[in-house]
Amino acid sequence: MSAPAATSPPERLGPDSAFEPDAPDPPRSHAVPNRMGPAQRSGLAALALLVCMGVFLLARQLAAAPWIEAHWRANAVGAVVLNTSPLPALAALDGVMLVSVGSASVGTLEPDALVLQPMPRWQVSDLRRLRQDSQQQTLAALLGQGNVQLSWADGSVVTLAPTARGLAGLGLPFFAFSALALALIALGASVLLTRPQPRNALYLLLCLVQAGQLMFVATGTLPGLGAALLPGPGALLGPLALDAMGAAAAVHVLMLHPRRQPHARWVAAGVWTLALAWWCLAWLAPPPGLWWWAQALALACAAAAWWLAGRSYGTEPNPFARLMQQATALVAAGLVVVTALVALASRWPDTAAAAATLGAWAWCLMPSGLLLAAPFVSRSRQVLRDAGLLAVATVIAGALHLLFMASLSLGRASSLLLAAAFGALVYLSARRWALAHITGRHALGAERAFEQLYRAARDLQLHPGRYSQMLEQLLRDLFQPREVVQARCQGTQARVVGAGAALEVPLRGNARRSQGQPGRALMLRFAGDGQRLFTDDDARLADRLVEQLRRAGAYDRAVERGRSEERQRIAQDLHDDIGARLLTLMYQAQTPAMEEYIRLTLKDLKTLTRGLAAGEHRLSDAAGEWKADLSQRLAAAQMHLLWTFQHDSDLNLSMVQWSALTRVLRELVSNALQHAQASHVSVHIDLAGPVLLLRVADDGRGRAPETWAHGLGLGGVRKRVKLIDGEVTWREQVPQGIVCEVRVAGFAPPVT
Amino acid sequence: MPVKVLILEDNPVARSFLCRVVRESFTDANQITQAGDLLSARKHIALTGGAQGLHGEDPFKLILVDLELPDGNGMELLSELRRYPATKIVTTLYSDDEHLFPALQCGADGYLLKEDRFEVLVEELQKIVRGQPPLSPAIARRLLTHFRSGAGGGGGGSDSQAPDSGFVGTSGFSTSRPLPMDTAPEIERLTPRETEVLTYLSKGFTIKEIASLMGIKWFTVNDHIKSIYKKLNVSSRAEAAVLASKRGLV
Repeated sequence: MSAPAATSPPERLGPDSAFEPDAPDPPRSHAVPNRMGPAQRSGLAALALLVCMGVFLLARQLAAAPWIEAHWRANAVGAVVLNTSPLPALAALDGVMLVSVGSASVGTLEPDALVLQPMPRWQVSDLRRLRQDSQQQTLAALLGQGNVQLSWADGSVVTLAPTARGLAGLGLPFFAFSALALALIALGASVLLTRPQPRNALYLLLCLVQAGQLMFVATGTLPGLGAALLPGPGALLGPLALDAMGAAAAVHVLMLHPRRQPHARWVAAGVWTLALAWWCLAWLAPPPGLWWWAQALALACAAAAWWLAGRSYGTEPNPFARLMQQATALVAAGLVVVTALVALASRWPDTAAAAATLGAWAWCLMPSGLLLAAPFVSRSRQVLRDAGLLAVATVIAGALHLLFMASLSLGRASSLLLAAAFGALVYLSARRWALAHITGRHALGAERAFEQLYRAARDLQLHPGRYSQMLEQLLRDLFQPREVVQARCQGTQARVVGAGAALEVPLRGNARRSQGQPGRALMLRFAGDGQRLFTDDDARLADRLVEQLRRAGAYDRAVERGRSEERQRIAQDLHDDIGARLLTLMYQAQTPAMEEYIRLTLKDLKTLTRGLAAGEHRLSDAAGEWKADLSQRLAAAQMHLLWTFQHDSDLNLSMVQWSALTRVLRELVSNALQHAQASHVSVHIDLAGPVLLLRVADDGRGRAPETWAHGLGLGGVRKRVKLIDGEVTWREQVPQGIVCEVRVAGFAPPVT
Repeated sequence: MPVKVLILEDNPVARSFLCRVVRESFTDANQITQAGDLLSARKHIALTGGAQGLHGEDPFKLILVDLELPDGNGMELLSELRRYPATKIVTTLYSDDEHLFPALQCGADGYLLKEDRFEVLVEELQKIVRGQPPLSPAIARRLLTHFRSGAGGGGGGSDSQAPDSGFVGTSGFSTSRPLPMDTAPEIERLTPRETEVLTYLSKGFTIKEIASLMGIKWFTVNDHIKSIYKKLNVSSRAEAAVLASKRGLV
């Protein structure tokens, strides 16, 4: 088998991914060096040194190996043709077919295209693999013993002394692949060193396996005609062993991560045994069609990994599992394409080598990219997306390149150019589509977020006590997490926890927090209903939301304070100036009626100024004051007050409500006092749910209210009732008197 | 012997009106001194033996004080006159607790609302002198809060803010509570009966209604009210002492 989608685990939270909100510092990124202790850092440094030395030794050994410095290509019939060579002896032979390489002591090799392609792992046919192996061995022997004779199709014979490659002769791809391998090992090691866990050890193992694959490919990219590093069975069995280990480790790690699957141990043991058995079989008794077996088993492993990630997601909707599933599917699809391409290209000798090289590159680059990206998925989704698109575009371009060369008989350069252009086109359009697709959703989210933020700020103004519910609702709407729990936290800023599985949003950066005590936070788990990972962008967005909400609140408070100060100033002026004048006027009134009129005016003025100055009135408090006031007035007129007040819930009256009700009551009772000559006045106030009912009844001599002229008094009542969206009716009462009913349907705000 | 009365009121019309009220209220021949501002009021008081009033010369028996005066607030005089052996009454246009409560804390024995009718004022004045001061629902509420927070020590009970309210709440302009007492062991506490009376008063019940609700005589209710006033004065005085010692005045 071979390394399938090497799904990589960045380390995770606890023993299972059941997420512990109180975990002191759930790791976000193991790759951040400042999270490491000094021991880890020196361990990492030592490892890096060791691996670098290994690569250097390998490079040195390769550089010392002899070669014939020239560029070759295979022609349509599978013979080796000289492209160009800097060697003066070969200067005139560009484009001439090489017939044989020989020496007196070893014998003669009649090379074909197989000699240019030192990766037996990517030889489709068993027969050709055997020939390739024997050619490589002969070539190594020839080059190792001194002068060689090159016979050419034009009849000329050139005798050359193979020279050592030197480091420059290794070619750029070798160093690029080596660097990638180093990076992989460093990342895997830092993950394990930061959080020593079995699953992180597996991650490191996966990284090492992939690094090994990369090094094998790197040695396969050496230019010129030279001996392979590992002639003989090693060149085949090495990559096969790495494939088997990678596949087993990938399945194993998905059994543990992101959630431990049932029977993980047994399944893992089975997979490792299978891998070992397959490798032993390939070594001792290779089955016919070895390449097909290897590819099929690798794809089977990729499918298994895909299925495992899906099952993990089904158990717990961790978006990481889903992402892994998608990535695995992508890589598996890539592998299928690569396999098909290599199989197809192997029919034509001139494309077989290029296809095999490309296949080998894709085979190890795709899983390596996934491994490299896995610990950072929550940090840069965009990079991951771009990398994925780029990989897809590259594979397509490579496929097209081969196709053009094979079917359209285009030259190598023009075919490559065309394929690259097409690949770039695919990449750009796909990227554009992906951006529109994804940011389209985000733009909608932003618009909705603004709307929600605005509404939340308004609500907050009305109910300052409901901040956390409001924030929770806001975050729910925005990120659609699977669940939201309250937790304790230390920080004052939102942060991504558990590699994107959760987002921790502190409730507020208040004074308590700065005193070092743990504050409270909302912990959002599994964004997008488990479809999406939280990213640092999300954390910053959440921070901004909290900040905006806080600012909106502060702004509202400042505005309210300013308004209140202004109102109080106006109230004070009105009360002191107009009040004192009215009082003087009242004392000097000529008639009792005039005096009473001014007194009521003064009372209205006081109600007005008090309504201006005071912030809010509880309904129950206001009712007490109304009752005391009415009692006093009616008692002075020798009348009885029957007072009932019922309320389901107490609430703060707005200024408008308070002053309207106060003055309506006063006016209605004044009516009863002045015109009705009643002996009893009953006032009934009832707040049932949102409906307020105010009924004032007297037993006076009033009749036929529909014929009343609505002067200043009754008109005022109507006006004030209308101000609070209510209705007022007057009707006769049996046996006598008038009852006035005020009904306000939406008096209390709906209970949310 | 005539009853000496001091009326401190800047509005001449209101002053003569109050004079009429005082004359109507007390059949004894009374001797009314009128003052238009704090300065002349202080002068008159000094003539009768100073603010402490311990000379026994011939102190005022009744002092009506307007709160809004051209050269200051009547409350200044009230706090100077804490130990003056007179019935001190606040006359004001402000009927809300914001203005009245501090005056009662300064040692006023009651209050009269200037816009009330003549007969009402006469009756109220007589009641105050008899020891039946008025207590509006708003002031009853303030008293309840005052004594609850005082007894609770440090006003801990007054924090009505929801525990998780994100912000400080919109209480920037809410009622300024009396200073909580945290170091005054001598603070008087209300008896359960007094608290009950206050609660009923805050709901707007009249004395008679409270009497029948509690099953006691109406003058017992009045006794409770009188006692509450006294306790308010005592606690305010203690509070003032604490404040003064904090400021290094004593």
